[in-house]
Amino acid sequence: MTTISNRKSKISKLLLPWLDILAITAWGILLLKYWLTNELNLLIHPNYFGLVIVAAFGLLVISIFKIKELLQRRRYDMTANIQHISLFPPGWGSALLLVAAIFGFIFTPQVFASDKALQRDFSELLGSTRVKPQAFRASVVPEERSLVDWVRMLNVYPEPDRYQGNKVKVQGFVIHPPELETEYIFLARFVLTCCAADAYPVGLPVKLKESREQYPPDTWLEVEGQMVTETITGKRQLTIAANSLKKIPQPKNPYSY
Amino acid sequence: MNKLNNGFTLFLSLLVEAMPFVLLGVLFSSLLLFFVDERKLVEKMPKNPLLGALVGSMVGFLFPVCECGNVPVARRLLMQKVPTSVAIGFLLAAPTVNPIVIWATWIAFRDQPEIVVLRVVFSLLIATIIGFVFSFQKDLTPVVHPTIARYLKFNPPSELQPKRRPKRSQIQQESGIPALLQSGTYLLGVGQAGQTMRLESTNIDTTTPSSSKPLGAKLRLALENTVQELRELGAILVIGSAIAATIQVVAPRELILSLGAGPISSITAMLVLAAVVSICSTVDSFFALSFASTFTSGSLLAFLIFGPMIDLKGVGLMLTIFKPRAIFYLFALAALLTFLFTLIVNLYFL
Repeated sequence: MTTISNRKSKISKLLLPWLDILAITAWGILLLKYWLTNELNLLIHPNYFGLVIVAAFGLLVISIFKIKELLQRRRYDMTANIQHISLFPPGWGSALLLVAAIFGFIFTPQVFASDKALQRDFSELLGSTRVKPQAFRASVVPEERSLVDWVRMLNVYPEPDRYQGNKVKVQGFVIHPPELETEYIFLARFVLTCCAADAYPVGLPVKLKESREQYPPDTWLEVEGQMVTETITGKRQLTIAANSLKKIPQPKNPYSY
Repeated sequence: MNKLNNGFTLFLSLLVEAMPFVLLGVLFSSLLLFFVDERKLVEKMPKNPLLGALVGSMVGFLFPVCECGNVPVARRLLMQKVPTSVAIGFLLAAPTVNPIVIWATWIAFRDQPEIVVLRVVFSLLIATIIGFVFSFQKDLTPVVHPTIARYLKFNPPSELQPKRRPKRSQIQQESGIPALLQSGTYLLGVGQAGQTMRLESTNIDTTTPSSSKPLGAKLRLALENTVQELRELGAILVIGSAIAATIQVVAPRELILSLGAGPISSITAMLVLAAVVSICSTVDSFFALSFASTFTSGSLLAFLIFGPMIDLKGVGLMLTIFKPRAIFYLFALAALLTFLFTLIVNLYFL
């Protein structure tokens, strides 16, 4: 019995460090993969790309050092092994990390869509309380403003009549909030401040000339028209009166910042 | 199906955003342990309980460890006869009041800078108050773990500390127990042949004279420490992110909205979540971020303050320092003070 358990513990002593290395290397490669395939866009704010890339290389360097050390140690010193008080049974920690990394390789991150946006109340969608302007450029021509620029403007100066008649040309995806009548859609974009965990939809209602049926949820549209004030769900709202709606492919970088 | 996709994307985004900070925290704590001389630090600690608690709370800037690393350091501080108020201040505040955690919180809550500031201020306040309260307990025997009590009894605090760092063998003799009978874990065969070196949990014991070890061995220890912490914290991060993603996707929206909007219910919910989730303080701000749009600011603060002080995984480690009753008092005090401060925030400020 003892010899079997001894052998077992010997094998696990030999294998566990390699499991650590595998887990750390896998995470290094996964982060690099996200960067090279542009999938980082879907996960985090571009400000932190550099941090993630450096971390990826850091993880790889650590695993290289560890491999080197293990290979050297095997030659002269087999006893050097560390046991320490840890939360997980031996091997579990790195196994968990490794499984998460493998999952990351298999699963492609998805862009959030209208179903996530609809997890909020409609009043919340219009309130857009979290989009605070970082910088303000008053000289921008109205039709060059993006959807997020508009929402920021509204945040600073919320009176809808001020924008009456302004020309608009914005891009976003379609949401069908159940509270809106059928000739309205809500054109939205997600804003990230840090990572996908805090993605927050902002946008404006669009008044159509026909029913919204031909613009199903999640379709990306480029809407041209002008600003009008409408009373929606009992509140005066800045609304885009659409002249033309063009279906566009989902942008490479679907989030705004 | 879409919900599942959203959940997975959320899970991965939390992991990808937090991974650099885990790595940074781990590297920083591994390297800094070589440069900060605990003994010199101990000598400079103020004796006044209130001041001591405050200074102890700020030592975290020198030991950027998260809550898994601070327990062994606090234990060593106590063993080196630092006033209790300093050790408890350190124990509670170090995971939050340190540069990496502050930076990570800033990145997560850039658009709510008040959360970053209040997190640090409240953590300092709470740790100082609790440290001060505990300083009234002059005899530590009923509070601390029997091993520490015995150690302190045989090495009364009035004894002057030797100015020079004692040798490794001296430390083993000082503790009054032969090296082989001591509890804890050891590095075998590091340095000179046949010697054992005590390894306190995930941290390398800095009481050993690192100058006597060759650079190679030191670096090897740093590497080993890095890999260990990375494995532990990484795994906790995976579990924490999975919990955050699951709650966001699975929990009924009405429940989250009703819980998250109430000034009291939101704080209570986040306090419980903080204790259960046990996520590391370097990355818990990203976790809290996923609740930012539905929960009150006060409750997010409660999560960020209480989580690093107390959580389920830390209890096991804390039992190596304190008796269960003392841990209960620590928990209760920390929870009540956090609740009080964040409730004030919810009701009057944000």
